[in-house]
Amino acid sequence: MAQTFRVSDLTGIQVRPARLWTHSLSWILFVAGIALYAHFSILRHRDNPEDRVIPSVTQLVQGIKASVLEPAEEDDPLDPGASLMQQVRHSMIWKDTASSARRFFIALLLLVPAILIGLHMAVFPYAGAFFLRFVLFFDKIVALSLLPILFIVFGIDEWSKIMLMVIGVAPTLMLDSYNIAGGVPKEQIVKAFTLKSSNLDVAYRIVLKQVLPQLINSVRLNLKPLALFLFAGEMIASTDGLAYRIAIMRRHMGMDVIIPYLLWVALLLFTLDALLRFTNRRLHPWYQPH
Amino acid sequence: MVSAALRPVRTIAPHSLPRRTEIELRGVSQSYPAGNKGSKTVLSRLNLKVAAGEFVVVLGETGCGKSTLLRLILGQEFPTEGAIEVDGKPVTCIDARCGYVPQKYSLFPDRTVLGNVMYGPENAKCGYLARFRPSFFAYRRNLRAEAQAYLIRMGLRPQDMDKYPHQLSGGMQQRVAIAQALLMQPPVLLLDEAFSALDPSTRASLHEQLKAVWLESKPTVIFVTHNTSEALLLGTRLILLGRHHEARDGETNLLLDMEIPASQLPHSACVKSREFQDLLEHVKQLAYKSSSLCTDDADADPNVEEGNLG
Repeated sequence: MAQTFRVSDLTGIQVRPARLWTHSLSWILFVAGIALYAHFSILRHRDNPEDRVIPSVTQLVQGIKASVLEPAEEDDPLDPGASLMQQVRHSMIWKDTASSARRFFIALLLLVPAILIGLHMAVFPYAGAFFLRFVLFFDKIVALSLLPILFIVFGIDEWSKIMLMVIGVAPTLMLDSYNIAGGVPKEQIVKAFTLKSSNLDVAYRIVLKQVLPQLINSVRLNLKPLALFLFAGEMIASTDGLAYRIAIMRRHMGMDVIIPYLLWVALLLFTLDALLRFTNRRLHPWYQPH
Repeated sequence: MVSAALRPVRTIAPHSLPRRTEIELRGVSQSYPAGNKGSKTVLSRLNLKVAAGEFVVVLGETGCGKSTLLRLILGQEFPTEGAIEVDGKPVTCIDARCGYVPQKYSLFPDRTVLGNVMYGPENAKCGYLARFRPSFFAYRRNLRAEAQAYLIRMGLRPQDMDKYPHQLSGGMQQRVAIAQALLMQPPVLLLDEAFSALDPSTRASLHEQLKAVWLESKPTVIFVTHNTSEALLLGTRLILLGRHHEARDGETNLLLDMEIPASQLPHSACVKSREFQDLLEHVKQLAYKSSSLCTDDADADPNVEEGNLG
């Protein structure tokens, strides 16, 4: 029989909230955030109808419309008869998203070797001896402090930003991968050798296959640091990209564009994370997270 | 006296009969660093010859080096002194001469039951590139049928074949682990407390199955256990290890090496027979005496958990 809700349940550990309660509670902070924003926006607009610090809903809609349907100021204006699809394809947000996504995914691809190095460090003792101390030290270097060096070495175009992301996240991913692969029970490795596995079989068919879901989770956790380094690079030296646009809009107090951009970036990262989580579940039905 | 119930059906006298020696340990000692105390000796001057087809059970209290002995035979560790040979060749690394069934983590979690069992024979058959040849697919089909038949004999149901290890009970997992090791037809099978986490009825059923499989293909088995009844039921030879004692440094910690009379009775009946109970009591007393000699613990309770050494 379903138990009735008591206020004391809110602080109970052994309670099992009903599905309706769980869903309702998970949305409260979103609703509260929107309500608070609306409240302060109304207050500010009552004093100054042209206020741009906390834009009103109308201003936000105009900002979104400008971002999604109009080209950036530095681009040529679009033909007035252009279709909706053409408008979107030449819009500010599309162009910025494409530039940032290109940098982001190139960096993500370049991080695959870092994961494999971590795996090798855990499985092959000599690889561990060769890399571990250096990676531990390198991990302590603040990646942003390397930015001037990266600009000197790679110039101020794409590669400096991509390398900043790679250098910023690679040591963490290597150590993560090393720890995860090192956690595979010794019995499994011994067993694999008794079943005529070669060294590479053990590394790739036993250890890598077993830790792949955890490695994907580790990449998921590192999506935000990766975006952080991308934003740092784009804000300092770039001519396009999501962070570049935010930095430009800051100068014009363009909160009506900055806020939709922030939400768009969060949505993109959230979607990518959900996609990785879904893929992980589908590809590894045997995985039992602790 | 050995009655009809425990009448030997097959006499194994490893030291007297001219049988091929499968495993040989000569003066094997193993020590580990123990912080600032120097080192801790776990095995000391162990000499042991195991003939092909023997079922040796290794018994002893916690910390006496049972699992270390297994790791040494397996090639997972190397002795600080002495030499080990398996199948006439020195042990230099872990290889397919020994099948291995640990207490836990015995199956690969990312493979189904069939995937686990077929993994070894597929590896043994060919390398990566050969797996793209049509002949490999034919081989795989035959292997699949063979593995399925083997698993069914081990007590699994056809619907269990495509399950992942986490979907099986502990007993089922160990059945698969034994099948996985035996399908490789290793000359030596090493089981490290393989049944200790199972409930008594599952354990009893696995005893019967392991014994049946052993009688059929006769691999050399080294079975490490805490459980005296299990040891006497399964083995043809019992080895009792004691803890190494610093005061008697240089002495071996192999306390007892005896032949176990075989019984023709089913396990359930054999356990209840008077002869078995007498033998069990005798071994327990021996184990108790030797362990108290080693630990100098006069207050130790000989009646530890039924059938268990500790």
